[in-house]
Amino acid sequence: MTNHWIDFKNADCILVMGSNPASNHPVAFKWIQKALENGAKLICVDPRFTQTAAKADIYAPLRSGTDIAFLGGMIKYIVDNNLYFEEYVRDYTNASFLVNPGFKMPGDNEGVFSGLTGTKTKEGFVSGTYDKASWSFQMNADGTVKNDPTMQDPNCVLQLLGKHFSRYTPEKVEQITGTPKDKLLEIYKTYGATGKAGKAGTELYAMGWTQHTVGVQNIRSMAIIQLLLGNMGIAGGGVNAMRGESNVQGSTDHGLLFHILPGYLQTPAAALPTLAAYNEKNTPQTKELQSANWWANKPKYMASLLRAFYDQGLPLEDAYALMPKIDDGVNYSWLTIFDKMYKGQFSGFFAWGQNPACSGANANKVRQSLTKLKWMVNVNLFANETGDFWQGPGMKPEEIDTEVFMLPCAASMEKEGSISNSGRWMQWRYKAVDSPGEAMPDGEIISALYHEVRRLYETEGGAYPDPILKLTWNYGKHFDSHAVAKEINGYFLEDREIKGVLYKKGTLVPSFAFLQDDGSTSSGNWLYCNSYTEDGNKAARRGTEDPSGIGLFPDWAWAWPVNRRIIYNRASVDKNGAPWAPNKPVIQWNATKKAWSGDVPDGGWPPLADTEKGMKPFIMKTAGVAHIFGPGLVDGPFPEHYEPLECPIDKNLMSPQMVNPAVKRWETDGVPELDLRASCDPRFPFVCSTYRVSEHWQTGVMTRWTPWLLEMQPEMFVEMSHELAQLKEIQNGERVTVTSARGEVEAVAIVTLRIKPLTIDGGTIHQVGIPWHYGWRYPDPKFKELRSANLLTPNIGDPNTMIPESKAFMVNVVKKEVKR
Amino acid sequence: MKNSSFLIDLTKCTGCRSCQVACKQWNELPAERTVNTGSYQNPLLLSSQTWTLIKFDEFEKQGKMHWLFTKIGCMHCEQPACVSICPVGALQKTESGAVIYNKNVCIGCRYCMIACPFHIPTFEWKKAFPFIKKCTFCFDRLAEGQKPACVCACPTGAITFGTRNDMINKAHGLINKRSNTYNPHLYGEKEVGGTAVMVLAPRDVAFSDLGFPKLSERPLPTWTWNALKFVPSQIVLVSAAMAFFYWLTKRKMKKKDADKEVQHDA
Repeated sequence: MTNHWIDFKNADCILVMGSNPASNHPVAFKWIQKALENGAKLICVDPRFTQTAAKADIYAPLRSGTDIAFLGGMIKYIVDNNLYFEEYVRDYTNASFLVNPGFKMPGDNEGVFSGLTGTKTKEGFVSGTYDKASWSFQMNADGTVKNDPTMQDPNCVLQLLGKHFSRYTPEKVEQITGTPKDKLLEIYKTYGATGKAGKAGTELYAMGWTQHTVGVQNIRSMAIIQLLLGNMGIAGGGVNAMRGESNVQGSTDHGLLFHILPGYLQTPAAALPTLAAYNEKNTPQTKELQSANWWANKPKYMASLLRAFYDQGLPLEDAYALMPKIDDGVNYSWLTIFDKMYKGQFSGFFAWGQNPACSGANANKVRQSLTKLKWMVNVNLFANETGDFWQGPGMKPEEIDTEVFMLPCAASMEKEGSISNSGRWMQWRYKAVDSPGEAMPDGEIISALYHEVRRLYETEGGAYPDPILKLTWNYGKHFDSHAVAKEINGYFLEDREIKGVLYKKGTLVPSFAFLQDDGSTSSGNWLYCNSYTEDGNKAARRGTEDPSGIGLFPDWAWAWPVNRRIIYNRASVDKNGAPWAPNKPVIQWNATKKAWSGDVPDGGWPPLADTEKGMKPFIMKTAGVAHIFGPGLVDGPFPEHYEPLECPIDKNLMSPQMVNPAVKRWETDGVPELDLRASCDPRFPFVCSTYRVSEHWQTGVMTRWTPWLLEMQPEMFVEMSHELAQLKEIQNGERVTVTSARGEVEAVAIVTLRIKPLTIDGGTIHQVGIPWHYGWRYPDPKFKELRSANLLTPNIGDPNTMIPESKAFMVNVVKKEVKR
Repeated sequence: MKNSSFLIDLTKCTGCRSCQVACKQWNELPAERTVNTGSYQNPLLLSSQTWTLIKFDEFEKQGKMHWLFTKIGCMHCEQPACVSICPVGALQKTESGAVIYNKNVCIGCRYCMIACPFHIPTFEWKKAFPFIKKCTFCFDRLAEGQKPACVCACPTGAITFGTRNDMINKAHGLINKRSNTYNPHLYGEKEVGGTAVMVLAPRDVAFSDLGFPKLSERPLPTWTWNALKFVPSQIVLVSAAMAFFYWLTKRKMKKKDADKEVQHDA
């Protein structure tokens, strides 16, 4: 999140789209309520009328997978009606930059951007990769970007934006999304009103936006809207991802995904054999005036990270050489893992605190992949569908050779450590009770594994022992969360004098501003440098003072970076450092004291008006300004509406290109039935989406085993409209089967007024929705019922992130006779 | 705290059911084995194992979609019908506001179940020695200076707790300040003489849409009192009348016997 949970109370308008906070983040609603009590408006856009919609001032239905059409219409409305915050857009974004005239947009390029090399698939659309050379700016001789401050030049970003989204008329958007035109305009007008200086609009999203083949572009659409309206960096604004797991923020921060190292540094590529080459390729340079270009510090963070793994006994280049590298052009994401596992390319698998047999898209393929393993280690609290895959529905245990080890692990209240919430707050937690039986905290299990692997390398050797044997492991025999937290913050590895102050070897680094690129400092995650210092464990603080009045609570726990609660907050003030919203200032410049008050400023330099020392607000961008034109993504610098891979209509009403051309598709050689898709297929006529309920969590591994929760939501259900129920002669409460090209599940039908058929391009489209919390293992494992939503979902993902498209795929629903 | 009350603000309830779980947890109530009957509501009804639950209602009214979440449970009336009807005084209204139940005195007649206008008290049908079960107002927590479990668990502040006067003032304050949000009526302020659990509803929804019965302000015990108050005098008067007729009849019969005897002698 750019902002944080409590900050929602400062909003004048809250747009909930791609999420359902009332159900899935109930405590967030406390702060949303506060905003409503102060007169804010709540808008909810969702295929279903959810628990959030029940509290909203305005609700609009939407066909799942058409968010870009909806938001594109809003962008057009904002531009056409001059609702954008002109000063903010001109000075803080790249709206004035001139784009290369060779750049082509989907409106006059067959539905794709310039630079696509692709082939036509058998489904009829082009699929390939983009060469981004034409997605570039016109440059001045001095290396700065050519720009037009009047923003009138036809090649400037703002004009191109207007031209691109001119095709997203309310009529066209209504045809694509099914949202009635009057509702579209009502929402565009209400939300667009936050473009005034002093007004704040916030957007809350979750998997409803990310789990699409256009997932990242969904969010980009909203980022563009927030920039146009001046809603970034202010109180009650921002683009706010509500994370789906209590510590998934922590897991991405600390680099658990394949493409990043802790602190969002790039994982080294095989094409970059040395640290020098890595730094050269990954460290951005800029000639722009008043641009802090903070990522220029990357070499300091990479060197310090290497030192957290390998101490000064090893030169930095040697430490870099020991790091695993990504092979060029290879994707190592979840979908790839199970594809390769299916092909027999993995002998072992740690299913660590997860349940892929239920959580993986196209779960039948996942379950079949598991049968190819020689061994699996299942680290979890309870038995689940993954560890017990070999006795699941349709499995023949006598034909499966996988050896499964179950390592029971501790629950979150049975161990000490930190959790990072969506608002980037690192909050320390304490151990309340001992774990039952032999269950151990994950850290303890990893520690034991490390020591044993090390011992085996020492005694037996192996293919390449150095990366393990040379590791610096100062935590002792057992896991110590404080020792790790300090390592993450980082140490001075030798005495250093910085700005006249001596920092002694072995002391904790005060913040990342002190990290060095020469290997004299260590830091397990530069973003968290400042969290555990000589002043103590800041994540454990519990101060309840809030001098700002806007809910910053600077002494409660610790937020990254450097306890800044609202990031990009230099955009909340004008050139002179005066807040756009004087009644809700985030930071404020005091000209006499020559200092900022309020939140930790996003760079302590004087305001922009100081041409010598002032800096532009978006310091993580090379040019210091935010991207309305965003060339960094693989599927386009502007969002464009494409249909989901499985969709109910046979053409994209916006352009000749049906599906996102950059999407990576799977073909399992020789076994076509596992990667099946069916689009516009009369066998699967209804749009299906997946979602959660308050009472269960993820695949239900913990919550299905909790009787009070199972009592409230005991079994798999499918929600559908009365019209669809009548069509299929289904009664409320009746058992039905939901099928897709990939599998089937049994569910109880909930026939409801809260879903209505939509009119899409003149025809009627029905939508249904299913929760993904259920599996055969519990309750009633002996019935081996198919209950997991992911048995239906497609293993096709966003081309930037590879998140599967679990929110829009095609199914059929039929009555079922069931003997229980 | 004396004379305390709950204020349940249904405009804030998001149907998360933290209250339903908190009640089970505090009172160590077992879960029921349920099935999905085509609704999020589960269990469907209050029982000896479920003392509060969220009712889910969806309907369309004047072109607007409503999905409402209503917490149901004992209303802890100011003048409870169950207390009045109980022949052995197993139910009592306490100073704190709680209507509490003493199973040691209960004879299992279930008159309280019949008397309650909200149909709250439930019975342990499956036990050999069954008792009545209902929300206890977390009377035991109040004794330790703590608020009821559901109040503590509610994430949005839909359930709040304080003195009756404070809750009434708070409710009217909300109704006045945000008249576009609230139904102007505070349910339970006056119904059946007032209930310790009071409810606010959204503006365009009627309490009857949510299943709250339409009740007069007259406390229910006064209905039975109208008849019952005559009982002592009736006992005295009827007994006296019957004694008189007995005396009269005995005297008549004595006279008759005496006359017969005289005839016999003559």
